[in-house]
Amino acid sequence: MPSSAAIRLHIETTLANRVPAALTLKIKQAPELFVTGIAEVDAVLDGGIPRGCITEVAGAASTGKTSFGLSAIAAITQSGAACAWVDVSDTLSPESAAAAGVELKRLLWLRTSAERKLKLTDKPWSRLEQALKATDLLLQAGGFGAIVLDMSDVVPQHAMRIPLATWYRFRLAAEQARTALIFLSQAPCAHSCAALALRCEPASVRSFSSNGETALFEHQQYTLIRERNRNESSVFLQKKPPLRAAWHAETLWSRVR
Amino acid sequence: MARRNAVVAGAVMYAVLHPPNFYAQAAAHPRPELRRRPFALLDGDPPAEFVIAANKAARALGVEAGMTRLQAESFPEVTALSRTPADEASAHTILHNVVCLFSPRIEHIEISPGTYALDIEGMNRLYGDATQLAARLRQHTMAAGFLANVAVAENFHAAVCLALGRAGVSIAASGCEREALRDLPVRVLPLEPEHEETLHSWGVRTCGEVAALLETDLIARIGQAGKKLHALARGEWPHLMFPIEPSFEDGLSEHMELDHPVEVLEPLLFLLARMTDALLERVKEKALAIASLRVVLHLDSNKRHERTVRPALPLQDKPTLLKLLQLDLETHPPSAAILHLELHAQSAAPYRAQHGLFLPQAPEPGRLEVTLAHLKKLLGDERVGSVELKDDTRPNAFRMVPFAPPPPAKSEKQSLSVPTALRVSRPPQAVGVVLRDNKPTLVFWDGQRYAIREIAGPWRVSGQWWSEANWCREEWDVRLANETAERVCRIAFDPRSRCWYVQGTYD
Repeated sequence: MPSSAAIRLHIETTLANRVPAALTLKIKQAPELFVTGIAEVDAVLDGGIPRGCITEVAGAASTGKTSFGLSAIAAITQSGAACAWVDVSDTLSPESAAAAGVELKRLLWLRTSAERKLKLTDKPWSRLEQALKATDLLLQAGGFGAIVLDMSDVVPQHAMRIPLATWYRFRLAAEQARTALIFLSQAPCAHSCAALALRCEPASVRSFSSNGETALFEHQQYTLIRERNRNESSVFLQKKPPLRAAWHAETLWSRVR
Repeated sequence: MARRNAVVAGAVMYAVLHPPNFYAQAAAHPRPELRRRPFALLDGDPPAEFVIAANKAARALGVEAGMTRLQAESFPEVTALSRTPADEASAHTILHNVVCLFSPRIEHIEISPGTYALDIEGMNRLYGDATQLAARLRQHTMAAGFLANVAVAENFHAAVCLALGRAGVSIAASGCEREALRDLPVRVLPLEPEHEETLHSWGVRTCGEVAALLETDLIARIGQAGKKLHALARGEWPHLMFPIEPSFEDGLSEHMELDHPVEVLEPLLFLLARMTDALLERVKEKALAIASLRVVLHLDSNKRHERTVRPALPLQDKPTLLKLLQLDLETHPPSAAILHLELHAQSAAPYRAQHGLFLPQAPEPGRLEVTLAHLKKLLGDERVGSVELKDDTRPNAFRMVPFAPPPPAKSEKQSLSVPTALRVSRPPQAVGVVLRDNKPTLVFWDGQRYAIREIAGPWRVSGQWWSEANWCREEWDVRLANETAERVCRIAFDPRSRCWYVQGTYD
C-alpha cells in the first residue's frame, strides 16, 4: 500500500500543469507596507497599508476618509511610485491633494461623468460601472503603487449591488500587480476580499475656535477603527478586538496661523 | 588619352540648366502680363529698398541692379515690384520638376539660384545624344515658362561655366572643354571680388586668357585660389556630385484609395495594420522608431478627418501603435464614409532606459499609453490625466494635463500636519437656507433638513471684476446635523443669482 506521501506526490504531479503544488501549504510572505503619513494610524496598522491587497475604508461623510486617502497617496507618491485616483463622483479637490503633499504629476486622476454616455439614463451605477472598468484597466496595466477607488458619495445600496466576483477579481489583480487598492465607501462592500478593513467614525466634536473674535473652522477630530487585518501574524487563530486610533486634521488656513 | 564620347554608357556627363536673370523670371512667372512691360524687382526693408533684378525691357531703359526705389521709380514706364520668396520657391519647384524628368541624380548649384546640374550618364537611350537631350531639356523648361541656357560637358564646372556664359544650348565635346570655355568672360568663374579686380587690372578678360597664364605664376601672385581658378578655366577642376536625395521623413507616408466608401472602422484597421507595418519596416531599417502617426481620412462628404496619435515615447511595436490608432479613431469617429486613407509617420530615436533594481514601481510606458487611450475612450479626453493647479485667485482652479509620471525618484517628505480634505461638489448643489440675523440657521439639502450647529464666516471672495466672467460669493463653514448624521460643509451665497449652494464637504 502506497504511503500518504507517495499519494500526495502522485496527485501533485498529475495536477502540476493546472494547479502547481496543489497539496502543499503556501508560505505567505508578509506584504510590503506603505506608510499612511499619519503616525497614530500607522501605529494601529502595524506600519501602514499593505501592498498587493485591498484596503477598505468605510464611514459616513465628514469622518476623514478622504483626508486619510490623500495622506496615504501623498506618502506613496513621495516615495516615487505612481498612483491613481478613480473618482466616482468627481469630487477630488486638487488644492487639498496638493496641500496633503501629493505629487500631482505622479497622480493619475480619473473623473467619471454622468454626461459621457447620453444613451444611458443618468443612473448612479453608470458612473460606478465606468469607475469599476477604469480600475480594472489600471490593475491590468500594472505599475501603479496604489489605486484609490473613491465611492464615498455612492449610497450603500448601490455599492452593495456590485457582485462579489468583481472584488475577487480586483483582489487577484492587485496581488499580481503589487498594487495597494484602497476603497473609500460609506459602508463595507468588499467583504472578505479586503485584507484590511477600516472604519471611520466622527470623534468628539471640536468646536470652531473663536478666540473672542469671528469663529473659525480649524480642526477636525477623527477616529479610525481597525476592524480586520488579514496580514497580521498571530499564533492564535482568533479574531482580535477592533483597535482604535484617534487623529486630527487641520484646515489649510490654520497652518498659516 | 582618347576620351570617350559624351553619352556613351559608362562615361560621366553633366548637363547644366541655368535660367538667366532668375529673380526676374520667377517674379514674372505668375504674372504673364509683366513679360512685355519693363519691371524692376526690389528687395530690402523700406525705405532702403534696392533693385536686385530687372527684365530686358527695363534694362534697355537704363534700370540697373543696385538702384534705389526712388531711382527705379524715376522711370515712369517701369513697374516696381517687391521680391516675394513664395514666387521663387514656386519657380524652384517647377524647375526641379522639369530636371527630375531627365535624370534621377540632380544637384542644385547654390551660388547661382535656379541652376541645376544633372548627371545624364546612361540617358541616351531615352533622350538621344547630348545635343538632343539638351535641346529637349531646354524645350521642356520653356514650356514650363522659363528661358534657360543648357550646357553639356564631361567636366561639371565646365558645364556650369558654359551654361552661365553662353545663351541657348552649348555642348563641349569630350576633351575640348578648354576650347569651349576659351571665349567666355572671367565672370563665369566663381571669383572672389579681389581676384576679379586683379585679373581686370592685368587685362585678363576671358577664361582662355586665364588658362594661358602659367599656373605657378598665378599661384605666386594670388595664392592657392589661383590653382583652382586655373583648373576651372581649363575645364579640369574635379567635382564630387552630391545629388539631392528625397527626405527620409517626407517618405514616411502611405496612401490607399478605397474601391468603395467604408463606414465601419474594423475593415479599415486591416488596411491601417498593413500601412503601419510598411512604415515600421522603413523606420527600423534606419534603427529608428515611430514618434507619431497622423491618419488623414478623406470622407465622402468632401471633408478631411485628421487624427494624430503621439505616444509618450517612440515605439517600434506594431500592436501598440495599432491599438492606439484604433482607440483614437473609436473615440473620435469620422462623420461620413471613408474614400481615401493616408498614414504619415514621424520618426525618432527609439526609447532606451536602464531601470534600477531598487527604484519604486512605475507603469511600463508602452502599456500605460494603451491604458490611457482605453480610459480616454471610456471616460472622455478631458477626464483622464494629471492635475495642474492654475495660478488663479478662484479656489480650486485647475487644468488637466496628460499623465506623464516623471522617472521614479524619492522626494523629500514634508513634515506638515494632515490637512482636512474638501470634497468639492461639481457642479455646486443648490440648497435652501433659512436665515436669522443674516446668518444661516437651517439648511434643506437633498430632501433632508439640517440644523446648523456651528458656523464660521462669511468669507467674501471675488475675482475677475474687470471682465464678464466676474464672480463673487460669500462662503460659510458650517457644521450641519440632523437626527442621524453630522457633517461639516462649506456653503456659499451667490449675490448675483441670490442662491445658496453647497461648495463641498470636509472629509
